[in-house]
Amino acid sequence: MSIPRPRLPRPARSLVALLGLALLVAGCAAFEPPAAVTAQGQDTRDLYDFVFVVAVAIFVLVEGLIIFAVVRYRRKPTDTELPPQIHGNSVLEILWTVIPTALVVILFVFSWNTLNQVDAVSPTPSLTVRAVAAQFQWQFDYLAADGQTVQFAQLSPELDLPVGVDVHVILRSKDVIHAFYVPKFLFKRDVVPGLENNFDFTIDPADANQTFRGQCAEFCGTFHSTMLFSVKALSPADFNTWLQTQIKSAAASPSAAAASGGAAAPGATTVALTAHNVAYDQASLDAPAGQPFVINFTNNDAGVSHNVQITDGTGQVVFKGEIFSGPGSRQYPVPALAAGTYTFACSVHPTMTGTLTVK
Amino acid sequence: MALQVSHDEPEGHDQEGISNVILGMVLFICSEVMFFAGLFAAYFNVRANAPIWPPEGNVHFHLADEIALPLIITTLLIISSFTCQLGVWSIRRGERNGLIRNIGVTLVLGIIFLIGQGYDYTQLGFTLADGTFGTTFFTLTGFHGAHVLGGVIMLSVVLYRAMAGQFSARHHDMVEAVSLYWHFVDVVWIVLFSLLYLVPTGH
Amino acid sequence: MATTTLQAGAGYRSGLYEWLTTTDHKKIGILYLANSILMFLLGGVFALLVRVELAQPGLQFLTDAQYNQAFTIHASLMLFLFVIPVLAGFGNYLTPLMIGAPDMAFPRINAFSFWLLPLGAIVMLAGFATGGGAAAAGWTEYSPLAQAKYEGIGTDLWIVALLLIGTSSILGSINFIVTIFKMRAPGMTLLRMPIMVWTMLVTSILVLMATPVLTSALIMLFIDRNLGGHFFDPATGGNAILWQNTFWFYSHPAVYIMVLPAMGIISEVLPVFSRKPVFGYKAFVFATAAIGALGFSVWAHHMFTTGAVYLPFFSFMTFLIAIPTGVKFFNWIATMFRGQLTFSTPLLYAIGFLTMFLIGGINGAFSAAVPVDFALHDTYWVVAHIHYVLFGGSVFAVFAGLYYWWPKMFGRMLNETLGKIQFVFMFIGFNLTFFPMHILGLSGMPRRIADYDPNAGWNDLNLLATIGGFTIAASILPFLWNVFITFRSGQPAGDDPWEGNTLEWATSSPPPPYNFDHLPEIRSERPVFDARHGTSHA
Repeated sequence: MSIPRPRLPRPARSLVALLGLALLVAGCAAFEPPAAVTAQGQDTRDLYDFVFVVAVAIFVLVEGLIIFAVVRYRRKPTDTELPPQIHGNSVLEILWTVIPTALVVILFVFSWNTLNQVDAVSPTPSLTVRAVAAQFQWQFDYLAADGQTVQFAQLSPELDLPVGVDVHVILRSKDVIHAFYVPKFLFKRDVVPGLENNFDFTIDPADANQTFRGQCAEFCGTFHSTMLFSVKALSPADFNTWLQTQIKSAAASPSAAAASGGAAAPGATTVALTAHNVAYDQASLDAPAGQPFVINFTNNDAGVSHNVQITDGTGQVVFKGEIFSGPGSRQYPVPALAAGTYTFACSVHPTMTGTLTVK
Repeated sequence: MALQVSHDEPEGHDQEGISNVILGMVLFICSEVMFFAGLFAAYFNVRANAPIWPPEGNVHFHLADEIALPLIITTLLIISSFTCQLGVWSIRRGERNGLIRNIGVTLVLGIIFLIGQGYDYTQLGFTLADGTFGTTFFTLTGFHGAHVLGGVIMLSVVLYRAMAGQFSARHHDMVEAVSLYWHFVDVVWIVLFSLLYLVPTGH
Repeated sequence: MATTTLQAGAGYRSGLYEWLTTTDHKKIGILYLANSILMFLLGGVFALLVRVELAQPGLQFLTDAQYNQAFTIHASLMLFLFVIPVLAGFGNYLTPLMIGAPDMAFPRINAFSFWLLPLGAIVMLAGFATGGGAAAAGWTEYSPLAQAKYEGIGTDLWIVALLLIGTSSILGSINFIVTIFKMRAPGMTLLRMPIMVWTMLVTSILVLMATPVLTSALIMLFIDRNLGGHFFDPATGGNAILWQNTFWFYSHPAVYIMVLPAMGIISEVLPVFSRKPVFGYKAFVFATAAIGALGFSVWAHHMFTTGAVYLPFFSFMTFLIAIPTGVKFFNWIATMFRGQLTFSTPLLYAIGFLTMFLIGGINGAFSAAVPVDFALHDTYWVVAHIHYVLFGGSVFAVFAGLYYWWPKMFGRMLNETLGKIQFVFMFIGFNLTFFPMHILGLSGMPRRIADYDPNAGWNDLNLLATIGGFTIAASILPFLWNVFITFRSGQPAGDDPWEGNTLEWATSSPPPPYNFDHLPEIRSERPVFDARHGTSHA
């Protein structure tokens, strides 16, 4: 049928088309996951890009058909007769069942293929780290080659890793479900109590000396949003130096390293700090450099949760104490810190803050 | 002017096939099957995850050793399904006395089952809080018991209405529906009893 | 015609007592709709609390604990007390009318089903009156977090509320199935039923088979919390994943419970405003049934990152379920093709539904690709996805349905101008709120966080989303005003203002008790169309 239809004037149509195109391009540019920093993440990224192309194609096709129908088939005053009463068309209907079926099978095969790469676990990883999650904090145990013995337990929420080698991570939860999530790995895995999940990844050597943010991604309770950590990528040589230093200093004060339960090393320096009316009683603290120390923290605010978290000059969290509701007290075993000026603050109330001088 | 509505009785619409009440009960039983499926899934899950079953630490977990009373009440419950069906057949023939007698017996057997189960609970030697074994045992049997109680209440209503002469050979959908429910409760117990008492060890 | 007999239903509009004790499916349907819209507004308030807190980094208005309650109760209200019941409300009002029945099969059970809902709402919200506050572990209430050692009595109230609401759903579904199978008018064969009725049938089967599993899971959680049970807490021998399996065995089919009747509404609106029959009626029916059946085999795609599910199977099934949905999309578009579209408010909302639900379907496909889901799971991408499906999809369909059937329910037309203003604001506000969340999710912002790092690059998009949230809120005002002025002085609708197809348009507006004085002959899925135009077009 070739009845003339009302149409938008030509310039208006090109304008709409141009605007649409501009929006699409802008949209696509923003529609990217971050550049992957692991080999596995890059596989995922490739799969994402493939799915994205298919998705955009489907969207443009279907949305185009909708817009076409809306523009082309509006009812005109002359439309007094009914339009043709079409009830269906078997060929078309079979076509738009079969083609999407083929499409999803292709998508499935691609994603399965990528899944096998991303989920592959090496029998001989270069490094095994156990991430231990508990409400609102992370601890990273660096395991020996046997995959059992803890060489050194990193109490600050910082995961130092070598680039270019296969890293194996084991996940363990002490209480509820958490999730280990590093956006730049394009990966997360739940930390489920009673279940030891594990996975492998290799950080791209080009990303040495970078730091990536990590965060608990499975809602885990009141202060879920404070459960942050960071991943620091080091060259294998730098990493080994770092690890040996840490193991030595941990051996020097064994109980502090194993003190996730809160037992303090005998003879360690103790610093007292009290929270009251959502404020610390001290604005500055002093601690010795190069050796672990203990913060005796008292929370006098009934029903209000506080803790002590220590950040270095670059904003990196080097220690995060357990958040607990007052009244009560905790002994926080702080690992050895290099000399310098640090900030201590409450994870829950960022306005509670002070300066920690390590010398 | 009054409405000329011919649909004053909702059932009068499409009378072929089973009645609304019976179809409703069949669907309700479907939902109950899914409810118990959820509980059974939990039971199989904890059982499959346990290194040995029943778990060690409590001799009373070996239910097969104390099976006498459960066996008796199981038999009574199975018999009650037959008496219930006899009641249904009676009213289909229009025998009201047969209905009253058979439903009465069914009701008594159901109550004896509940009393027997309650007594058995006091003799078990473990509680709901005793590990996954106690939790699943009491949840499964407890919710089954609650359904028996529901069935006993329904049977009481049927008995009351039967004695009031409200059922006839043509009009006894409620009897049919309650009897379906009672059979369902019976079948669940047979599965439960087999699982908990007759296949109690291994995985 | 039927209009003249309206006054015969003496006392039909009499007073509060009548509404509290009614067993008329139309009044119960309206009660469902009214209660659900109230819950929608309330749930919206909680959504705004969440958006206000997230508008900028730092905690300005809420504490962490309050924030967690706000998003938990927002989701619980919207899912369990708005989307599911509002669609059940349409089903209640329309199913008997559409199949030519005088009422539902069990009118008193129908009334009971409804009254459980406000009771459930009160119980759930009563959590705010307790010391520990309302439920705060998210609407998914994952164990062990939902155990008594972490969460207070608000969670118990939440469990009891969901048991009440679930019972309401189950009884309602039995009622729908029996009504549809047993109460159809002569000539109304199964394959002449309106698509809306088909979607209610499949939805009811889903409710019947899935909801009892949630009931069992809730009861087990309650036993864990209060009676020393050991189902879901690994610390005492239970299994944390077991909760997720039983919960999602219900909650994934529940997504279809929340979407299928919305698809039904769209499938009624599009043909009427295109003046054409629905394209591929049988394909619609089979696609609806296929979605229902496949809906039971995809629940674990919510658990890809747990490391405890067999990934390829659930990935494949999840991809597969896109096919029947795609078939429906093409059928809808083909229904409009070569038609004569009238852009009344219901059609605007239907086209809004098509556009938004399309995005909600496509962005869901990303998560079917398991490795991509590893990146996107539990981020704002998922929040965008669920809102494109349930807001862009279901809520737009709800408004399409309200504008379409309001004249039938109350005998007066809602104002078209206000309706279009509402549509424009809601469409823009919706996209402003939820489109940026895709980008937030891609850049790694997890869901359910009260606060975020000001240097993470999320500030602007969060502010934008909050502005969008208030735009949506603003779009509700013309709707409320529209309802108010329509009750006061709305234009009388007549029996069939839209030239409808289905039987509800063959009776008066509003219909009398027991619905019909007489029925037209039913020879196709469009009996009223046939009566209007003769059967030559059918």
